[in-house]
Amino acid sequence: MKHQFFGRVIAALAISLLSNFANAQGVTKDEILIGGVGPITGPAAYIGLGGRDGLAMAIKEINAQGGINGRKIKLIFEDDGHSPSKALGAVKKLIDQDKAFMIFAAGGSNSTVGFIDYMKEQQKVAYVSFASAPAVTFPFNTYMFRGATTEVARYGELYSEFIADGLKAKKVAIMNGREEYPKNEGNALAKTLQDIYKVDVVARVEFNIGDKDFTPQLLDVKKSGAQVVAFFGNPAEAAIAMRQARELGIEQKFFVGATMVDKGFTNVAKENAEGATGFSLVPFLPGTQNAALQAWETKWKAEYPNLPAGRPNVFDIMAYTDMYVLAQAIKTAGADLNTQTLIANLEKIKDFSPSPLASPITFSTKHHIGNLNLTVMEVKNGEWQPIGWKPTRPSEILKRYE
Amino acid sequence: MTIAIALQLLISGLSVGSIYALVALALVIPFKASGILNFAQGEFVTVGAYSALVLTAFGLPYWIVLPSTISIGLIIGLVIERAIIRRIMSAPEFTLVIATFAIGLIIKSAIRLYWQDNLFAIENPLPFKTFKFSGIVINPQYLWVIGCTTTLVCCLAWFFKCSPMGKAMRAVSQSQDGARLMGIHVERVLMTSWGISTAIGALGGILLAPIIGINPEIGGLILKALVAAVIGGFTSLPGAFVGGLLLGLLETYSGAFFGSTLKNLIPFVMLVVFLLVKPYGLFGKAPLVRI
Repeated sequence: MKHQFFGRVIAALAISLLSNFANAQGVTKDEILIGGVGPITGPAAYIGLGGRDGLAMAIKEINAQGGINGRKIKLIFEDDGHSPSKALGAVKKLIDQDKAFMIFAAGGSNSTVGFIDYMKEQQKVAYVSFASAPAVTFPFNTYMFRGATTEVARYGELYSEFIADGLKAKKVAIMNGREEYPKNEGNALAKTLQDIYKVDVVARVEFNIGDKDFTPQLLDVKKSGAQVVAFFGNPAEAAIAMRQARELGIEQKFFVGATMVDKGFTNVAKENAEGATGFSLVPFLPGTQNAALQAWETKWKAEYPNLPAGRPNVFDIMAYTDMYVLAQAIKTAGADLNTQTLIANLEKIKDFSPSPLASPITFSTKHHIGNLNLTVMEVKNGEWQPIGWKPTRPSEILKRYE
Repeated sequence: MTIAIALQLLISGLSVGSIYALVALALVIPFKASGILNFAQGEFVTVGAYSALVLTAFGLPYWIVLPSTISIGLIIGLVIERAIIRRIMSAPEFTLVIATFAIGLIIKSAIRLYWQDNLFAIENPLPFKTFKFSGIVINPQYLWVIGCTTTLVCCLAWFFKCSPMGKAMRAVSQSQDGARLMGIHVERVLMTSWGISTAIGALGGILLAPIIGINPEIGGLILKALVAAVIGGFTSLPGAFVGGLLLGLLETYSGAFFGSTLKNLIPFVMLVVFLLVKPYGLFGKAPLVRI
């Protein structure tokens, strides 16, 4: 009797241990819990709202098709308020309290940098869809992946080549916000312009997120005699700055960061946006006459019928397509899904494009920067349109990982 | 700095200042009548912007949307006064201020529940395309804001000087008991002052919306409006107007001369200076004390 009892206890413990071993945190036989994080309030909400909705739509479609390997995906999304400390709190809640399997980061660089160290400590995967901050993927670490966006160093390469060779500018003024993404892009552009193309950065001025008056900065730009003004910030800020620039008699071309290459910017900036150039992270922007995109937009509008004219935005598309990249890795990981198998299968993703809406994504065991391809666009007749310019200088950023 | 740029900054400063003046006026009116500082005033600007957004979505033309938005602001102000403020009027001043603060947060959170933080845009029939006048680039939207604010101040001046309700408001602001003895319905006057104040806030919203877009933070002007009201004198309507314009000009020119960092600092330094040197502002008067 006594032997039987101990036998049962040992068997129960063994089953319990084995089941814990087989199922990673947040993964059961019929569900995978993904924690989403991004700014859904505040001045950067246009990023997180698009990210959340695009992600949720992809998950709904995947679940409607039976999930992945028999497991449905469940999403819990937290607001990071575009703040690193709030983002860390949100991710801690998702990992420690909700027991999420992994994090899908749909926020900007400013908030994303807040939880990179924590994810490394926790040895959980963070799939970063939008943030360009270098720390996400450089130096290399196993747990951080960057999807649709690219690393800021690549922005620097592309921006500087286009401004120097495409726009033929010899003098450039840079206006950037003081938070992580605009500051990083401004730094990357200034460095590559000066080091590689010997172009003078004749003015470098900064502003605060949410500012509504850029007169002081624009007066410095005007004095500098710059031929091109590079602006890195949020669409609402760029729209005001460009209007004020015209009022102050600044007729130079504006080049804007990738977050502004979207309808949200042209809707607010109106005529003042005309002639602005910038790089798009996706091949087609919402509103473009493309059959695949229009079909997707119809689906999106059926899902979210009451959202404003600027939506779906580029962040809806990036999060949507990135979820399918992630789904591909989860699928090939098979029944034995855990952090290690997910990483191994993400690292097998090569030139994977889940739809014509996405740039192809490649990861390897040496680097986790998914996308190095961007498309140059210009505002013509109130719409961002590709201008066909292609970079000729090969990227050097992957050499850092060799 | 060339004369053309100095004049350009003048236009820019006046247009920013006009918005501050509008919100400052809306702060001063109920404060004069009831002594309550309405910290929800910025959110009434937000209400105005979203009301305009909804009405525009119904396909109504701007010239219908404009008075309708102001009317919505008026009605919301009347309802809030009747349903909340009047019931807590006898509470300590600090409680009243916190109550208005809470009303503002409720309004903003309720707006976020439905519209979230998406950026919306509405059109108005005035062109966005700038034109040049004597070398100065002028945006018709700015002229519209400056014109509306100036017209409003003239209307308010007439209202307080000539209309029975305006006179009653002045009487109530001097002594509620005295006004009551003269047969003035004090509660109705207080309610009207709230209605006017929130209607002005809503006007601010519809004027700002085409220029900077609509999101729940559009009304985040309360601190600047407070500074404007203090500079002008908290109990003076012309003071609020002049204070708003001065603040706009101060910000714009200080930014141009001292850079963007100091631009945000200077208005608050001015606030402290005014509180120390001229605590009743440019147009305010110290209360008379009978000895």
